[in-house]
Amino acid sequence: MTEPRTSESPTTEPRTSESPMTEPRTSETLLQVRDLVKHFPLTRGVIFRREIGAVQAVNGISFEVTRGETFGIVGESGSGKSTTARLIVRLLAPTSGEVRFAGRDITALGGSRLKDVRREMQMIFQDPYSSLNPRKTVGSIVAEPLAIHKVGRDRAGRRRVVQDLMETVGLNPEHYNRYPHEFSGGQRQRVGIARALALRPKLLIADEPVSALDVSIQAQVLNLLRDLQRRFGLTLVFISHDLSVVRHMCDRIAVMRDGRIVEQAANEELYAHPRDPYTRELLAAVPGARRRDRRTIPA
Amino acid sequence: MSAAGVPLLRVEDLRVSFSTEDGLVQAVDGVSFELDRGGTLGIVGESGSGKTVAALSVLGLTRTEGAQVSGRIRFEGRDLLELSDEDLRSLRGNEIAMVFQDPLSSLHPLFRVGAQIVEAIRAHRGVAKAQARARAVELLQLVGIPDPARRVHAYPHELSGGMRQRAMIAMALCNEPKLLIADEPTTALDVTVQAQILALLARLQRELSMAVVLVTHDLGVVADMAEQIAVMYAGRIVESASAEQIFGAPEHPYTWGLLRSIPTLDGPREELLEPIPGSPPSPIAPPPGCRFHPRCPYAQPEHARTDPALEPVPGRPGQRVACLLEPELRRRLWSALREGHTPEQASAAAGLPAPSIGSGLERALPAKETV
Repeated sequence: MTEPRTSESPTTEPRTSESPMTEPRTSETLLQVRDLVKHFPLTRGVIFRREIGAVQAVNGISFEVTRGETFGIVGESGSGKSTTARLIVRLLAPTSGEVRFAGRDITALGGSRLKDVRREMQMIFQDPYSSLNPRKTVGSIVAEPLAIHKVGRDRAGRRRVVQDLMETVGLNPEHYNRYPHEFSGGQRQRVGIARALALRPKLLIADEPVSALDVSIQAQVLNLLRDLQRRFGLTLVFISHDLSVVRHMCDRIAVMRDGRIVEQAANEELYAHPRDPYTRELLAAVPGARRRDRRTIPA
Repeated sequence: MSAAGVPLLRVEDLRVSFSTEDGLVQAVDGVSFELDRGGTLGIVGESGSGKTVAALSVLGLTRTEGAQVSGRIRFEGRDLLELSDEDLRSLRGNEIAMVFQDPLSSLHPLFRVGAQIVEAIRAHRGVAKAQARARAVELLQLVGIPDPARRVHAYPHELSGGMRQRAMIAMALCNEPKLLIADEPTTALDVTVQAQILALLARLQRELSMAVVLVTHDLGVVADMAEQIAVMYAGRIVESASAEQIFGAPEHPYTWGLLRSIPTLDGPREELLEPIPGSPPSPIAPPPGCRFHPRCPYAQPEHARTDPALEPVPGRPGQRVACLLEPELRRRLWSALREGHTPEQASAAAGLPAPSIGSGLERALPAKETV
């Protein structure tokens, strides 16, 4: 890894920067992953289960994420990128290695201490259809983190917070009592984002947040994530298989393959001068990469 | 046009509707297109745009589902909609073949890949089993499966996603079809595998001079593959043109929206994506007038009443668009958009009255969520 880069880009679009950042960006490291390993054992036998091998899903990766930046992890299926996300938020326990959040090693935490840390890091999932409980209203889905962490005294207070959140992500607060099936895919993903924001986390981990959405809706959600990040000074780990989307969203990018990071670089550097042959292969494989050649018809 | 002047496939005013509990779903509503021998047509649209139903109807695959199908589908002059089921069956997998999105659910899990290809060959050709098996090995080799003599004995689950899709393509090609319909053939695959499969399709198309209808939601895929592109929205074709025209000089606000809402590898990185506000309309109660008008930043009040027809664009041979805006105005709008202006700025620059739908986040909120 090279020097931590602050993410103010000189060409920042004026249209979203109207919302002032609530936290100044510093070059402080928020998340540090060191030699992280996750092996899933392969077993045989029912009574006398014995290990016959292991799937090496994540195989010794290290990276750092600076406060306020968007760190991209890109790779194909099976590269270990989603396992990495689950290891960071401790939905999975690592085989070895270390995850430090705000300077503190969280790999060995459990119980209430882990709960406290999870308040500060939230996850947005890929599939807005299966990640929302169909039997709960959208209001109670968004309120659930508040209830779990006992934030807000009374129901009316929580309801106000939830409606504010719904408004923040571009949902109609009056739809508080509706069920997930009454919303479109893009709106459900907004519900997932509102839920993730409910506890005002410092770190947001988005695992393929737009790949289940229709093309015309993807941009709505990408713009929303960018806008929220600027407004709340969020740090974002953005995981995707789509190199164009990662290029659009991320300041620094790690390319994963077979559980390892094959290349890690600043956005401009990675796309202009990919060093690893696999990165080059990925870039060459993006469909429509040659589209530029076709944009030559005068308007 | 082919030498005889008759296109290989000509679809005229195709309409397909399904009756459901909630009402009549007009999935395809008056779609016409044609395709020459050896040509490639890309049909692009979002989910629910009717692109898959249109493609399935060519093979008569929407026949049995309680659907009403009208219009004409002429394949080498014969109207496929008037063929008997039996005649259609002898055409399917023979002169017209199909590749589906998900190879795992389209291959039979209990039969070896080779046996499934042999069956497809022998359904249409009276050849001996051994001969068909030799052909299956040949086909697997053709689609780039390593060690084909061994892989013919593999079960679908023993192959990777990319290899399965290759096996599906091998099966589709076994009778050298004149027309291949590929419905999202690479959507379930990784990018590097996708690139290999698309290159394979392009190569086979050249070698076998087969026509391809490529159905996809991915503009990048059609940019690489298709010569002609039809953009579908809410059961209709809203723009049809050459690939150069679609990417270089698009005419429909929906096409503009698609192009501006997708990040590219070569655009300026900080350019804000311009999402298409709202979500696609319900196929049961589509909006009156132009179906895109509730989401169109340039819609005028009369667009809610008048339904635009797909008409030739003046001065652009081969390009057709269904839009009520004046051609001159559209050109001014697009030249402002391609310079990176927002729809609002483009409207102002082109002298268009401000839209009445509102702007910003409000506009991004769909008018209604429930069907």
